[in-house]
Amino acid sequence: MILLGLFGGIFTIFAAGFGVALSIFAQRGRVNLVECTCLAWLFGSGIVSLLLWLCGTFCSGLTLQAVVTMACLALAILGWRVKLLSRARFIVPVPASSIEWLLSSIVVAEAAILLFVSFKHTLGWDGLLNWEIKARYAFVNNGVIPASYYSSSGRAFTHPEYPLGIPFTELWLYLWMGEPHQFWVKVIFPLFYAVGAALLALLTARLSGQPWAGLLVASFLPLVPSVSASPGGIVVGYVDVPLSVFYLAALGYLFCWFRDSDLRSIVPFAACAALLPWIKSEGVILWLVLVLLGLVFSLFKHRTLQLLISSVPGLVIILGWRLYLRFLHIWPHSDFSHPSLSLLRHNLSRVPDIVSILFTELIEPVHWSFFWLLAAVALIYLFASRNLEKVFLATAVLLPIVLYSLTYLFSTWPSYTAHMTSSVPRLLLHVMPAGWVAIGLALSSPGTQTEKVESKLG
Amino acid sequence: MRIRFYLHVGLWCALFVAFAWASAPIVGRAVMENRFGPVEVNRSIDAYVRALTGIEHGSEKLPDTFRHLSKTGPLIIFVRNENAQSEFLGMMVGYVSWPREVQLIKVATPTVEKELVDINPNSVAGLVFCSVNPPSWLGKRVQLGSSIVLVPIVEPAP
Repeated sequence: MILLGLFGGIFTIFAAGFGVALSIFAQRGRVNLVECTCLAWLFGSGIVSLLLWLCGTFCSGLTLQAVVTMACLALAILGWRVKLLSRARFIVPVPASSIEWLLSSIVVAEAAILLFVSFKHTLGWDGLLNWEIKARYAFVNNGVIPASYYSSSGRAFTHPEYPLGIPFTELWLYLWMGEPHQFWVKVIFPLFYAVGAALLALLTARLSGQPWAGLLVASFLPLVPSVSASPGGIVVGYVDVPLSVFYLAALGYLFCWFRDSDLRSIVPFAACAALLPWIKSEGVILWLVLVLLGLVFSLFKHRTLQLLISSVPGLVIILGWRLYLRFLHIWPHSDFSHPSLSLLRHNLSRVPDIVSILFTELIEPVHWSFFWLLAAVALIYLFASRNLEKVFLATAVLLPIVLYSLTYLFSTWPSYTAHMTSSVPRLLLHVMPAGWVAIGLALSSPGTQTEKVESKLG
Repeated sequence: MRIRFYLHVGLWCALFVAFAWASAPIVGRAVMENRFGPVEVNRSIDAYVRALTGIEHGSEKLPDTFRHLSKTGPLIIFVRNENAQSEFLGMMVGYVSWPREVQLIKVATPTVEKELVDINPNSVAGLVFCSVNPPSWLGKRVQLGSSIVLVPIVEPAP
């Protein structure tokens, strides 16, 4: 029964997301099944968690579960109707050469191995006490986080102010399984990994024009120790890998939109970017970076309105969650003081320490092996290409790292170095898949793509 | 042009080989360690409580014990400051004791004489000491497991 419930929960997530993804891509006439399935998981987890949060304000228990299930199925039916009306057909991208077949097999095998491995580990400290705890408390309270949890000063260590994207995806599986099963709930993290690996392959292939480059970087993805081992990896149930997958997807579709000016590229961008702040507080910074890049892109394309409209969902989620916390009298906790120019001037002396810690972390082999060396070489390639798109991709990798590092200028911890040492490895994970895209682009032949994009710009 | 291509291929081959060479042992260890399961509802909580205190099925036993405490008042949990194991255990106790209110107090010394002075015994349900020694004068102690001691506060008769 538990496994049946688990499959039911996963199915409804996919159904909701698939419906939305289908209605976006069906008008193209051809729907890439792998791409649609990947986005189905991302959209689905976002839709289900948002619906649980919103509907939880007026219903609970079985009613809540039924309402959200019906909404998921309605979205699936809607998507299918759009597909039928547009007479779209599914296509499955087939590897074109033996090398691509080999690399595809490796990517699939790695996802299967990580699924197995994640069941060998328990949830980690943050996975349990910051994220899963919210799902469990909501589950024992009929699917709604009790107000007493938010006002419990003794449980401030669980960060009640953190957003509910992943906890409520876990809650959804708990509701379907009928119990807060900490073993089976971990399935969502390897699913995020699998989706991330597939999207990395697809988007890198699309941007570089070389499918083998996408498959190659995707096959090397789990060899970054932070992905498969702690800190923050998928086996310990932290939200950093899921956040990195949303960032990858949003970034990829932003670049696709830059190339093709297609509305069907900006809609997935808008959806994935909007869900960033719903997964983790740091998602606000990533969302800001994407909107900033998008704004510059849109100026080149004279499509600023499209970009501004696409940033509205993210803004709504950011403000909605802030308002909700304010309504519950929760103030985002004070790991950082309010940024001001005077404080910035006062704390500028921290910069050398921050740079030093960042550099030490980037070359930490137990966390990253030589990944950041590869990324650094790729960024040099991209900057040297003097191609706007590639320079922007490099910026999308670098800017979050710079902004994350700068936040420690405002750290209120007694030791800002301890604060940085404890959190920066997980923050770097957020841009790691984007770093792989940069590597994929640097790997592939530089000449042809540059000419193509520059001619479009010209 | 051809030399540039060979340099490009050579550079990336070297980088990927070095990356895989350095990563393989770390990732391999993470993949090989532990075994699948056990498939239990409270898999993570039980594993941590067992490792830290030796208590089996801590997710059930600890809440059962706390249920016998006075119905009102929070549970005061003492943990050692700068001691990750003690703090983590305290947080686990806070987790499983829901919906009872808890208060986590970090102490700098192995004993808590000074901190206890500030606590009104009529307003709390019990004291939990995680890798912290309760003072010798404190009444009935219940050793829940290694490194965890509960001191229930008896409700005064009406």
